[in-house]
Amino acid sequence: MYQLFQFISRQKAFILFTFLEVLSLWFFYSYNNYPNAIFFNTSNYYAAKALGTSNSIREYSNLRDVNTELASENSRLNATIAKLQAQQLDKSIVNYKADSNVASRFKFVVAKVLGLTTTQFNNYITIDKGSADGLTPGMGVMSSTGVVGKIKSCNEHFSVLISILHSEYSVSAKLKSNNEIGSVKWKGVNPDIVEMTEVSRYKTVNIKDTIVTSDFNYVFPPNIIIGYVKKVGVKPDQTFHEIDVQLATNFHTLAYVYVINNKLLGEQKALEEKSGDVKIK
Amino acid sequence: MTPKSIVSQILIFVFYLLLQIFFVRQLVLFDYAFCFVYVASIILLPFEINKMTLILLGFVAGITVDIFYNTIGANAASMTLIAFVRPAVIGVLAPQRGYDERQTLSLNSMGLSWFITYATTLIFIHHFVLFLLEASDWELFFPVMLKVICSTIFTTIIVVIIQFFRRD
Repeated sequence: MYQLFQFISRQKAFILFTFLEVLSLWFFYSYNNYPNAIFFNTSNYYAAKALGTSNSIREYSNLRDVNTELASENSRLNATIAKLQAQQLDKSIVNYKADSNVASRFKFVVAKVLGLTTTQFNNYITIDKGSADGLTPGMGVMSSTGVVGKIKSCNEHFSVLISILHSEYSVSAKLKSNNEIGSVKWKGVNPDIVEMTEVSRYKTVNIKDTIVTSDFNYVFPPNIIIGYVKKVGVKPDQTFHEIDVQLATNFHTLAYVYVINNKLLGEQKALEEKSGDVKIK
Repeated sequence: MTPKSIVSQILIFVFYLLLQIFFVRQLVLFDYAFCFVYVASIILLPFEINKMTLILLGFVAGITVDIFYNTIGANAASMTLIAFVRPAVIGVLAPQRGYDERQTLSLNSMGLSWFITYATTLIFIHHFVLFLLEASDWELFFPVMLKVICSTIFTTIIVVIIQFFRRD
């Protein structure tokens, strides 16, 4: 008996080795076994957490490329939505068919914001696309969350935009709920709030109503979000509501914008100007 | 072994494991050369460590890496094997006058040729067992051998390079 223990103690390294080796091989060859699969693979909770952290560090370094990809995907989707929305008008009015050229007249160009201000009385935004990319002054600009402004002037590679936070810039807007037309303009102090005017006080306006671009814009497709109603007030002797609109776009963190190229803008403007000259007998 | 050196040994051991799991896992050259630098955690343990501890540490290191690699037990098997074989290899490679009492197992103290021979032998055995278990198919023998040789060279180079950064 004593010699057995002596033998074991002399050979203990070998015995331990054999035991552990057989154990690992058993783990390996019985990988179909349910309890082993649960314990030993990477879905083990702590392993997963550690790998999750190291993966998120690696993902962080890819963010710039992911952002660029998302912005260009967005511009493509926006163009599709504008086209489909215009075509959808078909269904509600009998016998009305939208001209396919008119429906697909909006094309979206992605641009990155290079500089912007929100604190001055008249604020401008600089973007990195210019006439080399087909931009011309007067084109409307929006972000993924709403209206931003319109192009003031273009260089070959850069453009300056009048942002909606400009005391002289107004956008034709409508209430999404009842299609009431009004005009949206910045009051000049708070970069998150704009004012909507010309909505008759006899129409109902509720808090949190959506304000979108109307169909009467040259440069914006209809139904682009401008903001949400924050406060409605009316003085007794006025005919219009005083509506405060919370802007849907956060101008402090604006990074990517989409310039809206209305291919039929020249035609529409020229026709309206010419009609102004025609004499009515 | 002073407590300080035990702590530093444990830290080095853990360091190689973390290096393997978080950084080297994605490092593959030309689809054939894989790097298993955690082998260094066992190879570089001091001369005077006793065999039982060595085998246990080898098993623990292997199982830890297995959890992250999804190869349930292949790494553990190969690490236990080289932990067992390590004393024998050290004995075979003994220089003519035997090892000095105070020698540390590092490049600076043992010399380049001894270190490379020692590391390559153990790493080769490890990779051989590991890739053979993973493939489990004798038809694939030639690609497996190619993988083993390329990975051995790659891992040895990395281990030697890390050695150059040590202070002793």
